[in-house]
Amino acid sequence: MTRWMLDHRHALADALKRTGDRLTQFIVLVILLGVLLAIPGWLAQIWIGMSTLVPQSAVQSESLIFLQTPLDLEARIDLERTLAERSDVEQLKFVPKSEALTALSEVDGLAPIAELVADNPLPDALRLRFQLTSEATSESALMASLQSDPRVLSLQYYPSTRVQYAALVQTLGWLGFGLTFLTVAGVLMTVFLVSAADVVDDRRRIELYTLLGASRRYILRPYLYRATFLGLLAGVLACLVIVVLNGVLSEVLASNLESLDTRLGSVPMDGRILLSVAVIAVLASWIGAERAVNHRLKALH
Amino acid sequence: MIEFEAVSKAYSGGRQALTDVNFRLAPGEMAFLTGHSGAGKSTLLRLLLGLEKASTGAVRVAGTNLAELSGEKLAKYRRRVGVVFQDPNLEDDLSVFDNVALPLRIAGFREEDIPKRVNAALSRVDLSDQASASPRILSGGQQQRVGIARAIVHRPALLVADEPTGNLDPELSARVMRMFTQFQQLGVTILVATHERAVVESLPFRRLVIERGQLVSDGLGANR
Repeated sequence: MTRWMLDHRHALADALKRTGDRLTQFIVLVILLGVLLAIPGWLAQIWIGMSTLVPQSAVQSESLIFLQTPLDLEARIDLERTLAERSDVEQLKFVPKSEALTALSEVDGLAPIAELVADNPLPDALRLRFQLTSEATSESALMASLQSDPRVLSLQYYPSTRVQYAALVQTLGWLGFGLTFLTVAGVLMTVFLVSAADVVDDRRRIELYTLLGASRRYILRPYLYRATFLGLLAGVLACLVIVVLNGVLSEVLASNLESLDTRLGSVPMDGRILLSVAVIAVLASWIGAERAVNHRLKALH
Repeated sequence: MIEFEAVSKAYSGGRQALTDVNFRLAPGEMAFLTGHSGAGKSTLLRLLLGLEKASTGAVRVAGTNLAELSGEKLAKYRRRVGVVFQDPNLEDDLSVFDNVALPLRIAGFREEDIPKRVNAALSRVDLSDQASASPRILSGGQQQRVGIARAIVHRPALLVADEPTGNLDPELSARVMRMFTQFQQLGVTILVATHERAVVESLPFRRLVIERGQLVSDGLGANR
């Protein structure tokens, strides 16, 4: 067995032994960190799951732009080109008044208007669909400019749910971001303090190991393994909490979900969130322990 | 083997622990470092073990200036030094065997090579029959001998002992000193810090007396 493997085997055995020695403290920490990590993880889960729950038609903003009658061809093409060149416009379609009349006459009770084809009172229109990612402010600015455009008779604007709730979404986004930051900082600080306390407890032992020729890495390794176990178990617990909360939420919303889409039996889960929570838990725990032990070892030496 | 050249050590706060200490210890030589509590013995040993750096001057071991060592190199240096403490500093949750094996495991010895060396070290301190025992059930003298076995198990060229007989009765003290004498005869360089006059004067070894951080006497034991 190589030196590297031997050292890691000793560190792993040492970490397991330490974990066993302080089992109650370890279990309490796993539960605390697991629940702490589950909060932003669950919010992120709902956040991402929302896009699946919102109907496709409500995801992108649309607008019907009715053109002045009469409007010469050149002016219409110029308007179409201006709109089509915008980066936030995904699709622009010209709807001639004849087509609109036909479509309207197909609506129950409006069949007689088909006879007006020779003297069609409807205006020509442009149907505009915005990009999925377009900004609320950009859409509003375009609508405002079109309303004052002499080539436009009137317009109808159907903002996406994302745009409708842009301010709320942004606020919740910042809240989620802040909460995630606080949670990661909380995990880091908790593991930092616990590891620092462990080092103080082990001071005599660390001094002995130092005198026997143990390198700093050798002394550090068991603490890092222990922090990794802690992060891993806390991450797994956080994932379980998220799955359970998701299940409870699905039960509560079952009838509403089915009315949105018959295929939706529960709030959808995103594996990326669970993976991120587990990775964040391990990394935060590892970094917390590494900083604490190195800091303490420097002070000891 | 050991060379202190104009070594001074001042701690932050201005306390002067050592002032212009000069001495050499040849390979295979044994010496006592004596002086009252607070005279600077521990500081000198800490310098020798690389736990502190000299403020001025140089501490050399086998030609290496310890001030130039750090990190892994310093750890490697310490693996060539045996240390015996006043309190044997044993790990209670490890057996006697595992306590003695600790320096070998830290140094990365293969597991199959460890029993032979540990058994040899335990046999040297007459504790072969206690290998599987817990240190908790041993007497103070036995614990100190386990500490000594741990200090010699990796066959160090230099053995440093800090008050090794401080907690032992005269009979056990004499036994520990006999062990050190045997190691010295095997070629190990030994520096023993002690304030026990009886121990120092009973053995024919060099005596370095330190007072208020200064080396005030460097000569042979009284009975020589």
